[in-house]
Amino acid sequence: MTRRRVAMPGLVGSMAWWMARWIAIAVLLVAWEGLARSGLVTPFMLPSLSVVLARIWSDALSGDLLQNLWLTLYRALAGFAIAAGAGTALGVLIARNRFIRWFFDPLISVGFPMPKIAFLPIIALWLGYNDASKMTMVVFDSIFPVVTAAIAGTLAVEKELLWSARNMGASERQLLWEIVLPAALPQVLTGLQVALPIALIVSIVAEMTMGGAGLGSAMMVASRFADSPGVFAGITEIAVAGYCLVKCMALLRRRLLLWHQEALAPATA
Amino acid sequence: MMRYSALRGQRAGVRRIVSGNSNIVIDKVSHLYRPSRGREVLALDDVSLEIRGQEFIALLGPSGCGKSTLLYLIGGFLATGKGSISVGGKPVAGPGPDRGIVFQHFALFPWKTVRANILYGLEKLGLPRAERERRAQSFIDLVGLRGFEDSYPSQLSGGMKQRAAIARTLAIDPAILLMDEPFGALDAQTRNLMQSELLAIWQRSPKTVIFVTHDVREAVYLADRVVVMSARPGRVKAIVDTKFDRSDSDIFKTKAFIDKIDEIWCLVRDEALKAQAREDESA
Amino acid sequence: MTGALHRYLPLVILALLWEAATRLGIVSTLALPPLSQVLRAAYDLARSGDLLTNAAASLYRAGAGLALSIVIGGALGIAMAWWRPVNVVVGPLVELFYPVPKSALIPVTALWLGFGDGSKILLIFLGCMIPVTLGAFNGARSSDQALIWSARSMGASRLRVLWDVVVPSALPELLNGVRTALALSFVLLVSAELIVARSGLGYMIGFLGAGGTYDGMFAAVLTVAFLGFVADRIYQRLMNRVLQWRE
Repeated sequence: MTRRRVAMPGLVGSMAWWMARWIAIAVLLVAWEGLARSGLVTPFMLPSLSVVLARIWSDALSGDLLQNLWLTLYRALAGFAIAAGAGTALGVLIARNRFIRWFFDPLISVGFPMPKIAFLPIIALWLGYNDASKMTMVVFDSIFPVVTAAIAGTLAVEKELLWSARNMGASERQLLWEIVLPAALPQVLTGLQVALPIALIVSIVAEMTMGGAGLGSAMMVASRFADSPGVFAGITEIAVAGYCLVKCMALLRRRLLLWHQEALAPATA
Repeated sequence: MMRYSALRGQRAGVRRIVSGNSNIVIDKVSHLYRPSRGREVLALDDVSLEIRGQEFIALLGPSGCGKSTLLYLIGGFLATGKGSISVGGKPVAGPGPDRGIVFQHFALFPWKTVRANILYGLEKLGLPRAERERRAQSFIDLVGLRGFEDSYPSQLSGGMKQRAAIARTLAIDPAILLMDEPFGALDAQTRNLMQSELLAIWQRSPKTVIFVTHDVREAVYLADRVVVMSARPGRVKAIVDTKFDRSDSDIFKTKAFIDKIDEIWCLVRDEALKAQAREDESA
Repeated sequence: MTGALHRYLPLVILALLWEAATRLGIVSTLALPPLSQVLRAAYDLARSGDLLTNAAASLYRAGAGLALSIVIGGALGIAMAWWRPVNVVVGPLVELFYPVPKSALIPVTALWLGFGDGSKILLIFLGCMIPVTLGAFNGARSSDQALIWSARSMGASRLRVLWDVVVPSALPELLNGVRTALALSFVLLVSAELIVARSGLGYMIGFLGAGGTYDGMFAAVLTVAFLGFVADRIYQRLMNRVLQWRE
């Protein structure tokens, strides 16, 4: 017998809220167009929505949009993947090993509030003006939230879960892979959710600084040429890309943590 | 009843860690608790106890008396410092499937379904696949969770979670069952139901059971003998025989039962007051 | 004191390794100037006044932008929580701009206001508004209904209740939002100065790097990093002091 999911209470309520949001956004877009056309601001300061959309469309048609988007995403996601893997491994290690924890604690504590983007010129000096340096910057910036989340998640694993597994004969290695990692997963995923937007924006800033095509680079070029529609198109494209990434990540989280999310659903029996 | 007898015949193919004798001998055990922060505390002081095979023992005492600590020492989760604990003649060297443990907060793996939780221990035992599935299902049926095999723990009520946890531990067929206030997190009605169910299961397949509780009535009802422990540092204050005819449904009303509860409560009360006083001091 | 030393010992070890590796030639001094040389360069830059003038420019921009965002963002967040109409109008705006990466506003502020202070202040103001507003909003919303009712029953007007009860209750979350904004302000500042500036610490890093004065560049980078770290620590102390009444 398979159990069917009970409909979330207030489903109608949450749908109405969702619609209200999109209505509000639609109103905003209309206001944008209205303001731009009203003559209160110059087309340079605020190009009208229609002009910006037309620009995005023409970029899409010429293939520029796709190419820039692909480059930015490639750098961001490659760096993110490395930060995710290395960061999780490092975090678990730090949580479990006293010496490693002692060594990395000040590094993390000092590193977190630092504007790490300041290190970009140094990375560029070492690795050149290319994808590698951009990706390195992405890794450097986005690894911090992953590590702290992995540490917290690993430390929070209930002792009784580990004892139950050992009770049933699990070895140390099995404990790590079969118990610690799944138990820490919710928190690790939260860290990844924080790290993803960071990865995107660092990739863009690196492009703005170093050039080399991509959304950030294209926006900077537009800015230098006083190409106002281009700049606004860039902002819109980045916002949409960011939004989609965040949504994908949230969906992934829901999928992976089916058992966790269920805790929010009303219990029966 | 028939299902379980059929299971017992199948045991031949199962790898057993401890065969036959499951006497537990606790010899002059002391345990020092060293927290990462703060002073170290003597949790147990020179505790000696002998538990016969297939006996049902309750460890009773106020909070902080070290009863759970003693359980964890028997289970091999904590290392014995002073003194020794041996099971079936062999000293305890670490956790193992011969001493199954059930925790107060269930400790079910939240990312696994009920069935997967139960299968976990069976996989570790190295049973062949068909055998694993069969055993898992039979224990699910045994604790009355048929129909919920594919649910996640977060979808279950407290009583159901505890039944799943018990099924998981029973499935690996341990000779000794360690239970750490297993019904403490349940509401009173569920607790009563679970107590009867536990007795029923125990009577069908006798194991040595060490049951930690602070509920006197629960201890007297379930156990053959009740070990009353003193307030911290834990010592054995008294051991009282509490064997009753548990099949008698009016047992709770009999004078003998009520007198027994009184007797033990008097023993516990002083210790409870001492423990309370100590808490007030340190607050 | 020894506790702090023990805690930061790994950093000291790393510093020593840095010095040793470069002096012993394991790492090329071109790519990584020895730490002593970097410190020397920092000292020279400080002495010549370069470091100070640029740091002043940077801190002025960050400070102004941050201050504006705290005042306006804080007021806005509390207003949103307290008056329904404000929430309805401003809420969607905040929601819309939340996913926009703040650094993406660098080209547009540069477009509007050029390479001077104005563009940076505007950028930091806009960027930091979001965390501050959200912090104020969430904080104000979480104020205990019982406290509000108590105050009202003692005859406080709606406005007084706002000031006496809601604002203090909102303080923890608001201050946390400000902490996020503080770190963000540094990031936005450095990013903007690396790309579109003619003064400031970020500009200095780029300038020194382009000129080949790598020890100076490293010195500037470390200065910025250090400032960001110190600002956060000081703010933490202040925050804890203000929130002392919290358990």
